[in-house]
Amino acid sequence: MQERLQKVFRKVFNNNNLIITLQTSANDIKMWDSITHMELISEIEVEFNIVFSFDQVMQFNNVGDMLMTIEKLSQNHK
Amino acid sequence: MTFISPLFILFITIVIFVNYLLPPRFRYVFILSVGLVFVGFFNIESLIAVLLFTLFNFYLAKLILNNRALFIFGLAVNALAIILFNYFNSTTNGLHFSFTLISFQIDKFIVAFGLSFYSMQNIAYLTEVYSKRMIAETKLAKYVLYSVFFPKFISGPVMLPVEFISQIDNNVITNNNLIRGFQLLLLGVFKKMVLADRLAPGVCSVFDYHSNYSGLTTLVAAYLFTIQMYFDFSGYTNMALGMAEMLGFKLKDNFNFPLRSTSVSEFWRRWHISLISWFTKYIYYPVVFRLRDYKKIAPLIGILLTFFVSMIWHGIGFTFLAWAVCHIIYLCFESLTRKARTEFSERFNNSLCKMLYIFIVFNLVCFSNIFFRANSFDTALHLIKTIGCNFIPDNFYNGLIAPIAVGGHQIDEFNLYITILLSVLFLLFERRIGNIVSSERINIKYIIGSVLLIMIFGVFNSGTRFIYMQF
Repeated sequence: MQERLQKVFRKVFNNNNLIITLQTSANDIKMWDSITHMELISEIEVEFNIVFSFDQVMQFNNVGDMLMTIEKLSQNHK
Repeated sequence: MTFISPLFILFITIVIFVNYLLPPRFRYVFILSVGLVFVGFFNIESLIAVLLFTLFNFYLAKLILNNRALFIFGLAVNALAIILFNYFNSTTNGLHFSFTLISFQIDKFIVAFGLSFYSMQNIAYLTEVYSKRMIAETKLAKYVLYSVFFPKFISGPVMLPVEFISQIDNNVITNNNLIRGFQLLLLGVFKKMVLADRLAPGVCSVFDYHSNYSGLTTLVAAYLFTIQMYFDFSGYTNMALGMAEMLGFKLKDNFNFPLRSTSVSEFWRRWHISLISWFTKYIYYPVVFRLRDYKKIAPLIGILLTFFVSMIWHGIGFTFLAWAVCHIIYLCFESLTRKARTEFSERFNNSLCKMLYIFIVFNLVCFSNIFFRANSFDTALHLIKTIGCNFIPDNFYNGLIAPIAVGGHQIDEFNLYITILLSVLFLLFERRIGNIVSSERINIKYIIGSVLLIMIFGVFNSGTRFIYMQF
């Protein structure tokens, strides 16, 4: 799942060498700002075929938080 | 009573001293009383308005859970207060009710209702409670203290109740708090009295009496205004943070070296951070999240709406509209060209290019600030036209130096050079100065140096308010 998420990150931030960890946050990626954040959310929804709620998005502090919510939503979806 | 008046210095010294001596459990009652006196000092209408409004928001928060209509009503009342504040603040036609013994100015009452920073905190509080991200506060006294905590009451920083109220029960004042707080306070006084207030007359001379100056003079004044506003507002924030720290509270910082930004979007992440976080969280994100299926269009609409609200918050008029339009254009351009710009900056990633980006961003910000500072839209247009023609003055001294070095004497010219030198030196070394100030060790050299510079070069009794007090 982390690899699929990394693929989305690479696409949004236009960087094929980008490596994400659970601790990666907006402070670690120069282009990750309020504008790219929502683009990232939208691409993740498409990639994993899930729909985030606004409150879930507001509580993301790092990649780990994102992965946890993606896993939860994917399981519900199944 | 502003932060740099002698009365306030006496007031804050006594408050910090008494608060330090009090047992921790009594401190919040003491600071609450001090906050009410501070608000009442402006005028009695302000105190009544703030108390009524605080009660309104406190009790409304308990009722809005699962009640969308009441939540929207609460938002509307707070938003209306901000709009009324800006309306009454920009007009001189106040309403006045006079009885035999009591004189009551209704406009002052409304102005106090809408003290913008305070109303923004109330909107954040209601939204957080309604969204179930926090529980409504149960202790009225703590909520009132959050509302009237005097270091942040007039001009922020904007804080959520959860960020502030949690500190009330854990109020601890150590020697480190006192040292760091005092060093921060001193830094704020230095920025305001030595830098901002010394730049103010030159800026005022060009912006308010603009008829015959050359383009270069106007351009220099536009640069100086942006620098003045930065020192003025970041100085205020340093003072607020310093006082709060000496009282055992930590407030959010508002500035992160914004004049070193290499893009306008980066500038907005570094300038007035608490306000921009508020706009991002409560305006930009909700809009863009709902429109996220529209991909590239969503952030553009988000930027448009955010700056439209920001414009209303700063003031209703063509000057603020033009200022907002400038930033909408800058940010939309950056959003649409992001990939190309990233590739370009990776290819040309050296110090020289970085300095070029900083210079371009600084010029863009200064250009928009001409609208921000000018008294009218026509004046702003006139100043911009002036920059475009007759750029180099015929006589360097009479055309460039004399209008900015207000006073016309040799000493005024000397003062101007000293101010510019101090400002440039400060901007170059501000990161290092910031590290000294925020360290927990007392730095005698820094304290003596700051006090001496304030005593020698500080502007005392200038009568100038903090720029952001008007919002």
